[in-house]
Amino acid sequence: MLKKIIIAMMLMTTTALAEYNLIVPQKPSGGTSVWAQIVVKEWEKHLGEKINLIYKPGARDQLGPNMFQNKLRFDDKTILVSHGGNGISYLVEPVDYNYLDWESIGQMNLNIIVGAKKETDVLNGPIKFSAGSGMTPEIMAIVQLLTGPKKNYLDTWQYKITWVKGMNGSERRLAFRRGDLNATRENPAAYKKHVMPVIEQGDAFTWFHHGLLNVATGKHDNDPNFEEPTFEALYEDMWGVAPEGDFYDAYRLVKSWRDALQKAFWVNKGNPNKDKLVEALNKMINDPESVAAIEAKVGKYNWRVGSEGDTAVQTLKSFITPGALKTLTDFGKNQLGYNTVYKQQLLK
Amino acid sequence: MELAILLAGIVYGLIIGLIPAAGATTGLITLFGFMPYFVGDPYLGVIFCVAVVASSTTGDSFSGVLLGIPGANSAAATMVDGFPMAKNGQATRALSAAITSSTVNGLLFGSLTFLFLPYYTKIVMYMGIPELWALVLLAFVTVGFVSTKKYVRSVLAIVLGVTLGLVGVDVNNVPRFTMGWRYLEDGIQILPFVAGLFAVPEMWEGWRKRKQTTEHKNLQGSWSQIKQGILDTKHSWRDSFRGGAIGSFIGLLPGLGGAMADWLAYGSTVARNPKEKFGVGNVRGVIGAEGANNAQKASSFIPTVLFGIPGAPFAAILMGLFLYIGIDLGSPDTFYDDKLFDSMAFAFLVGTIITAVICYGLAYFAGWVTKVPYVYYFPFIIATILWATLQYTGGWEDVAVLLIFSVLGLLCKKFQVSRPALLIGFLLSDRIYSLSYQMITLHEITDLATRPIFLTIMACVVFLIYWGVTKRSRIDYA
Repeated sequence: MLKKIIIAMMLMTTTALAEYNLIVPQKPSGGTSVWAQIVVKEWEKHLGEKINLIYKPGARDQLGPNMFQNKLRFDDKTILVSHGGNGISYLVEPVDYNYLDWESIGQMNLNIIVGAKKETDVLNGPIKFSAGSGMTPEIMAIVQLLTGPKKNYLDTWQYKITWVKGMNGSERRLAFRRGDLNATRENPAAYKKHVMPVIEQGDAFTWFHHGLLNVATGKHDNDPNFEEPTFEALYEDMWGVAPEGDFYDAYRLVKSWRDALQKAFWVNKGNPNKDKLVEALNKMINDPESVAAIEAKVGKYNWRVGSEGDTAVQTLKSFITPGALKTLTDFGKNQLGYNTVYKQQLLK
Repeated sequence: MELAILLAGIVYGLIIGLIPAAGATTGLITLFGFMPYFVGDPYLGVIFCVAVVASSTTGDSFSGVLLGIPGANSAAATMVDGFPMAKNGQATRALSAAITSSTVNGLLFGSLTFLFLPYYTKIVMYMGIPELWALVLLAFVTVGFVSTKKYVRSVLAIVLGVTLGLVGVDVNNVPRFTMGWRYLEDGIQILPFVAGLFAVPEMWEGWRKRKQTTEHKNLQGSWSQIKQGILDTKHSWRDSFRGGAIGSFIGLLPGLGGAMADWLAYGSTVARNPKEKFGVGNVRGVIGAEGANNAQKASSFIPTVLFGIPGAPFAAILMGLFLYIGIDLGSPDTFYDDKLFDSMAFAFLVGTIITAVICYGLAYFAGWVTKVPYVYYFPFIIATILWATLQYTGGWEDVAVLLIFSVLGLLCKKFQVSRPALLIGFLLSDRIYSLSYQMITLHEITDLATRPIFLTIMACVVFLIYWGVTKRSRIDYA
C-alpha cells in the first residue's frame, strides 16, 4: 500500500511539473503505450522538457482520440499518439476524431509481412488465417492473389478462405507453429521472432509483404529488408497484370491507413508548439544513440517528421474514393461480419 | 548488488501480494516507470521483476485467508477453506500451510522449469485448440459440480460470470451486452469486478459489526500453528504435489491463467478426499489450491521464454518490461543468453525461499491482525480499492462499475450464490467463447474423435459432472 501511495504521489508530482501531456489511447501495458514510453524517453532528451504520459483507454482505443478531438487538442501542451487500428476505425466506424483537424509531428511507417506454411496451396487454398479487423488488409490481399483478375472475389472468400475468429496475437503465433493456421502475418520485429524460426526449420516461407508507402508517388515501394515481393509485384508475377478495380483500391486504402499511420504523434492544427516538437523529434531520429535505443526495443521503422507527415495524410486522403470506401465497408460488413458504416463525409 | 535488488523485489512483491485484489500482474504493471533504472544492467531488472512475481504469488494468500478477499484472481480457491480457518482461530496455521505448499511446489516445479526449459516444446505443441477448450470446460465443471453442493446455483453463477465476461465487443468488434455504454466496449475491468464481488461484501459485514472485534477466536499468533501448518503440508503431501503438477501443466498452456490452475487443484483435492468436508476450514483445501500457485507461475515462463508467447497475463506484462530493458523473450538472441536464465532461476528460486521465511514471520502476527476491529482498516481498504479502480479512466464510470458489482457481491453472499464460480466464469468467458469459435471453424467431430488427449479430458468432464450430481455433499461457500 505504501508503495502505491508513493507511486501515486510521484505521479501527481510528475503531472504537476509536466510541460507536455501525451494522450495514449491504451492501458500502460498496451503495445502502443510501451512504444510511447520508449520513444518519449528519447524525445524528452532532445526537447529538454518533460512529456507526461496520460493513459486514456476505452472503447477499443477510440476513447483517447475522441477525447483529444473533442476537448484536449485545444490545449497547446497536449499531444496524441495514435496507432494503425485508429486509422482503420476512422475509415469505417462512427468515431468522433478526424485526422484532418490535426497536424502531424511524426509518424512511423510499418510494413507487414505474410508468411505461410510450406504445404499451403497458395493457388487453391484453403488458407486458414486468423481473423480480426486489423487483419483486413492481409485477407483482402490473399483473396486477390487466389482470385486473379477475372473471377469472383466472393467465391474465393467463401470457398478458399477459413477465417478463424477469436485469436489474440499469442494464440495466433502458436496456432501457426502448430499448423492450425497455415498462414499468418506479423510486423518486421515480430516476424523475425515468430515466423523466421519456422522458416529456418524448413516448415514455412515468406509469401509477400505490403511494402512501404511512398508519399510522393502514392505507390508502395519495396522494403529493402525483404527479398520477397510486395503484394502488387507478386500479383503481377502470378497473373500477368497489375491489380486494379474497386477491391484493389479498397485493399490499398485500408492497408495504407493502417500501416502508414502505425504509430503517429499529433497536435491540433495551428498549435504554436508544433515546430519545437518537430525539431526535437528530428534531432532524436538523427541521434545515433537515440535511434539505437529505440530500434533495440521496438524494431526498425521509417520515420516521417513534420510536414512530411501532413503530406502523407493528404496522400492517404487521396485513396478515399467512393468505390474503395464502399467496397471496404461492404466487405467488412457483409463478409467479415464487422459493424462497419459507410462514411460519406470522408469523401468531402 | 544482485541480492539487494532481489530483496527489494521481494519486499515490493509482498506489499502488492498483501493488497486485496492485486496480484503479480498488478505489481508488474506499476513497474514500467522504474525500468529505465535497469537499462544499465538489465539482468538486475530481470531479478527484480521475477522476484516480484515469486513473492507476490506467495503473499497473495494473506488477504484471502485473513479478510475473505482474494489477494489475486488465483487466490480465490485458497480463500474457500482458508477464511473459515481464520474464523476458527487458525489463521496462522492456514497461512503456514499455504506458504509451505506454495513454496515447496514453487521450488520443485521452478527447478524443473529452469533445468529442462528447452525440452518442453513438444508438450505445448500437443495441446491444440480442442484440448484447450476441453480444459476450460474441465475448470467450469470442477468449480460448478465438485467444489460445491449447491451445483445448480453454482452453474447459474458460472453462466452469469461468463455473460459478464463477454461484455465488450465480440469477435467481429461489434459491441456485445454493453447496452449502448461505450465505456464497456473494452469489457468489465477485473479490479472493480473482484473488489465489488469479494471485498465490499466482507467490508460491509465488518462495518455492521464495527466497534466489535472480529468473530475470530484464539486470536494470537503462535509458533505452534506455524509448525502445525508445515506438518499439515507434510501429511497432505499428495494433495500438495498434485496441486503443483496441475498448476505446472496449466502454466504451460498460454491463456489459461492461475485462477483455473488453483480451482482445478482445489477440485482435485476435494474429489480425492470424499470423506472429508470442505469449505468449513479444511486445511487440505488450502494445501491443494496453494500447491498450484507458484508452480503455475514457474511453468508459465516456459512458453514465454521459448516462444515469446506469454503463458499467463503476468507473463505478458513481464515480456513488455523485459523489452524495455532490451531483452526480447522468445527471440533467438535471448535463447542462448545464459546470464538471463541464471538471473531468472536465481530470482525465482532464491526469491521463493526468502519470501517463505518472511511470510512465516508475517503469519505469526496474522492472528494479531485479525484482532483489529474492521472499523480501523475498513476506510483504508475501501480507499485503496477506490484509488486502484480509478486508475483505469479516472471517470465516474469506474466507480459506477465498482458499485454495481458491490451490490452483486452482497446479493450473492446473501443468497449463497458461489462468488468463486462467478469469478471463474468471468475470467474464462473469453477463452471458452473464442476457443469454441476456433474449434467449430477448424475441426470436425470425426477429427475430435481421433485426439486422445481431448477425449481423456472430456471423459474427466463427464465423470466429474456425474460425481458432482450424485455425491453432492461438498462445500457451500458463497
